[in-house]
Amino acid sequence: MSEASSRPTEAAGGGEGRYLYCIINDNSELTFGEIGIEDSRVYTIPYENIAAVVHACPAKIYESNDGERVREWIFSHQYVIDAATKKFGTVLPFSFDVVVKGDDKAVKGWLSKEYSKLKRELEKIKDKSEFTVQIFCDKPFFAPIVEEKNEEVKRLKKEIETKPEGMAYMLKLTLDDKIKDAIMAEASNHSQDFYNRIREYTEDVKVDKLSKRVPEKWAGKLMILNLSCLVHNKNVKKLGEVLGKINEIDGFVVRFTGPWPPFSFVELKGD
Amino acid sequence: MVVNIDEKRPIRIKVDEKRLLGSIVALAEVIRDLLERQALRRMRANRLTDEEIERLGNALIELKESLDHIKKENNIEKVVESVKGELNRTTDESIDKIANQMGSGEGVAM
Repeated sequence: MSEASSRPTEAAGGGEGRYLYCIINDNSELTFGEIGIEDSRVYTIPYENIAAVVHACPAKIYESNDGERVREWIFSHQYVIDAATKKFGTVLPFSFDVVVKGDDKAVKGWLSKEYSKLKRELEKIKDKSEFTVQIFCDKPFFAPIVEEKNEEVKRLKKEIETKPEGMAYMLKLTLDDKIKDAIMAEASNHSQDFYNRIREYTEDVKVDKLSKRVPEKWAGKLMILNLSCLVHNKNVKKLGEVLGKINEIDGFVVRFTGPWPPFSFVELKGD
Repeated sequence: MVVNIDEKRPIRIKVDEKRLLGSIVALAEVIRDLLERQALRRMRANRLTDEEIERLGNALIELKESLDHIKKENNIEKVVESVKGELNRTTDESIDKIANQMGSGEGVAM
């Protein structure tokens, strides 16, 4: 949905294409039915012992200014990946809107060229799924704790009481920032420990950026850890238990979601 | 927002009024937050006299109170929050996109 001008097919002027959903660790030749984007017929193109899940389309990417329509496309993309995962175990997902120029043979050619890399990636994610782990700390819980410890916070609080309204307001804003910083510092003592405990039950972890946005349910909480975890099926339960324990610690909340296709751990791009 | 075009009559726009007011108030709040941040920066850099800080603080309080009043009166607290959430999301996404230029897998291969 960006930089349309640099795309090779635009210049090539259309022709036949294949939309790519994912690569599966199986060489069955089959159709999933008309479950794809815009009800396209989704089928597999096998090569050796793997296969690409695709639908046939013109060799151009899906583009629209209609947000609702794009959302539906992305939803269908995700739906096909889920269906393939259900049938064949963890797949290598493509991100939305990867279209190969050419017919089934072209896809086969690409599979043969990339075979060893794809096979290696498939082995890496075999019997594993991605989970998202986010840990939040509760501001109202930690505020009194850091206020007790932090001299500057204490001093500011006293100062505010002596000031006229407008200045008190400005100092209150400063105080809020200071408390937030102190809470983050306090929480980061814990987050390293949490990370280590989580790491033990994961094959791989990606540390994602902390988001200021917090799910509505947890308004007033600060995100202190945001992880994408590649987890072996046999460890999911144990990881859940570890997270359950963290969740029980006063002042912390854990959000554990998944399984997702391992988007964060494989990179299938259209180039 | 639905725009009905009737050739005989001028264009009429049907608007979800709550949503519209919510969007305006949300924008006003975003601007107020920016003002607050700017004021704080200047205060911390010692570029304001005590009187200026007091005046700024009072103005910000007044602004906050009137926005809160509008929200309460029109029962749009939730709408405003959701618009701000959406704005945040869109901004984050745009920044991400610029930061990781072409980080997504879109495109045509081969």
